[in-house]
Amino acid sequence: MKNFIIKLQNKINGAVTTKGVVLFITVQLAVLVGAFILFGIIPVSSEVSKITSEFGIERTGNQKLPPEKIVLLERVRDREHYESILKSALSLSKTDSISLLIDLNDSLAILSLKGVSLFQSKISEIEFNKGLKKLPVYLRDSLYSGPFPVKDELASIEKFPVVVKKAPKDTTEASANNAAPELPIQNDVFVLFALDNNLVIEINQEEQDLAGSKRAYREFNRNYSKFFREHNFAQLKDKSAPSYLYRLKIFIPREEARSIYRALPIKPYVLVRY
Amino acid sequence: MKNNNSKLAFILVTALTSVATILFSFQKSENLKELSYIFFSYPSVPGHYVSKDSLELEKLLKNSERRITTSLRRLENLLPYGPYLIINTTQNKFVLRTRKGIIREGICSTGSYVLLDAGDGKQWMFKTPKGMFPILGKIVDPIWIKPDWAFVEESLPIPPRNHPDRLEYGTLGDYALTLGDGYLIHGTLYQRFLGLPVTHGCVRLGDEDLEMVFKNLNVGSRVYIF
Repeated sequence: MKNFIIKLQNKINGAVTTKGVVLFITVQLAVLVGAFILFGIIPVSSEVSKITSEFGIERTGNQKLPPEKIVLLERVRDREHYESILKSALSLSKTDSISLLIDLNDSLAILSLKGVSLFQSKISEIEFNKGLKKLPVYLRDSLYSGPFPVKDELASIEKFPVVVKKAPKDTTEASANNAAPELPIQNDVFVLFALDNNLVIEINQEEQDLAGSKRAYREFNRNYSKFFREHNFAQLKDKSAPSYLYRLKIFIPREEARSIYRALPIKPYVLVRY
Repeated sequence: MKNNNSKLAFILVTALTSVATILFSFQKSENLKELSYIFFSYPSVPGHYVSKDSLELEKLLKNSERRITTSLRRLENLLPYGPYLIINTTQNKFVLRTRKGIIREGICSTGSYVLLDAGDGKQWMFKTPKGMFPILGKIVDPIWIKPDWAFVEESLPIPPRNHPDRLEYGTLGDYALTLGDGYLIHGTLYQRFLGLPVTHGCVRLGDEDLEMVFKNLNVGSRVYIF
């Protein structure tokens, strides 16, 4: 292998001319532009045209409107969105499952069961990706208010922190076990929920420092990259697969994020209020 | 010949670099998509709204407000009328509250998530169930009827059903509230473990908290466990 590289180096040295360098850079630039079109422009363009055709968006929306009408339109839109959130909350209250409401308006993550708010966590930071940021609120309403079930999830902690314990062999071992209870390991909390409407919600601990095992954190990061890689690969193979993932990231205190993730059932319903 | 070799090497290096660039770009697809959004936009106001005049919009607004009021009333009616208890099994905390506000909050102990394996296929999972539970009964000076796992855990022989060895007095504190399926909210001798997940599925409270919960909740009152 080393010999091959040395030989290749010698051969390249012979070819390093101004023309060669220019040609090399041109080819690389062309490849970069091609990759940008293939992996960037095409998926985004297909998502934008899909939404435009699905919702029959008329470009007249861009025309100049009097300021009073814009204010009125905003109020109508805001009320209609709130109405749809309340409607979703009512429909979720009929189920026996705990659901999650992410209220971006009041910066709260709320767990509720049968219409009763069980737990609230203050969101310290909210991040949208460009697609979600550019999506006008009236479209977010139609697409993302929900409730939507979680299709896929990734987490750096277990849903059920089970500790397997063998029954003690004698009374001495039994009393030693009773003296100090075995507590579950508390890892850092990073959660990803992929909803079946192309929306990915990430619930991250706001603490920067890692308190738990680095291995669990690395494992989560590996799975996180794999999730997006697989999505991008599927989109290349299958034209009908969603081409763009809208991403919403919220940051809340570690222990509260843990409570939220562990309280939710597998494949929970999530509701987002913008 | 030498020239041909150099050309071949140049093509090989260019091709390899191009493949690496493509793979790298694929890895960075998410960033490329973000960058691409610079070239796209949507109208900020939907076209079907623009065509409506102010009167029509006012009417829409009024109707929407009316439906919001109805939905809010319906949601409020879902809240329990009397006091209710909320238990957080992850943080081992409880909140006793009414619609108007918190009566008391503090720490408790819930299921340890220990899977006790006694061999021969005999296993017990010590977890607190999640969901909404009505209080089924209230007991003063409860007696603990020890289940099989309590003997397995202490490495003692399991006595037959209804054997007096199964009865233990004072372990559950002064009061107990039954939730069904053998799950109770009760007191504890192990006050130092309050706030930790150490129980076999029941919810343990400190003495004063238990008294407050017992006095405020009635049969039928709701307990929400998450």
